[in-house]
Amino acid sequence: MGEKMPIGDKGDGASFRVLIIDDSVFVVKQLTQILQSEKFDVIDTANDGEQGVEKYKELHPNIDLVTLDITMPKLDGISTLERIMEFDKDAKVIIISALGKEDLVKKALITGARNYIVKPLDREKVLSRIESVLKK
Amino acid sequence: MRVEYINPFVESSVSVMREILGIEVKREQISLKSKAVPILDVAVIVGLVGQVEGRVLFDMKMETALKIVSKMNEEELTQFDELAKATITELGNMITGRAVTKLSEMGYRFDVTPPAIFSGHNMEISDVEIEALIVPIETSYGRVEINVALREK
Repeated sequence: MGEKMPIGDKGDGASFRVLIIDDSVFVVKQLTQILQSEKFDVIDTANDGEQGVEKYKELHPNIDLVTLDITMPKLDGISTLERIMEFDKDAKVIIISALGKEDLVKKALITGARNYIVKPLDREKVLSRIESVLKK
Repeated sequence: MRVEYINPFVESSVSVMREILGIEVKREQISLKSKAVPILDVAVIVGLVGQVEGRVLFDMKMETALKIVSKMNEEELTQFDELAKATITELGNMITGRAVTKLSEMGYRFDVTPPAIFSGHNMEISDVEIEALIVPIETSYGRVEINVALREK
């Protein structure tokens, strides 16, 4: 057996394409590093919800996954998620949340988010949650 | 002010800094301040609204802040730029999140504002209506002070 295939590899040599919506440059940097280390293609980032919805619409259908910060200025995570789900009911969105926002996370899961990750971002946790969303 | 409000913040600061930064962290003696207190070069402030109200402030010297954000980014940051600010904000989020979870387990319900950052020299903070409790935390990167002014509504 050879090496284990990177999680970001679709199996045909192409990578899963990810849009990161987050207002923190630190979190964007962390997520990008984790994702790129497993051969994901971070195709774009947006630092607020409005921009995130616009970019999703532009990229669709050439996008596989969105990571979405639950607390953001302008358009918050829940409203952003609602707009993305309205546009594409099959969108695969993973919520990124700080501890202590359980109510918002529940709301996001009801709204259509596939899974969630609680910060601080742990590499293994991030990758396993994303993998489980992509496999379904 | 009741000491039970400050403990979750002190405990989560100690545990988050130990875990995230992997450095020696030691809690020092608590002190009570009723007048204006000086704050160090970089301060992260979080507001609480609800059954418990007031604010929590974490402050430190610039040198300490830069060491912390450099460690968190795994690269040396020499300027307190956008990335450094976002990183310190994230540290504030982690500490507050853990403390808030503890406080809600104790039965207190409230909302937290996103952290705001102040940086500068010779700053001071005055809490006219609520006395402030200060717990210094000594770390191998320098001192971080946790300054809490909260009251039950």
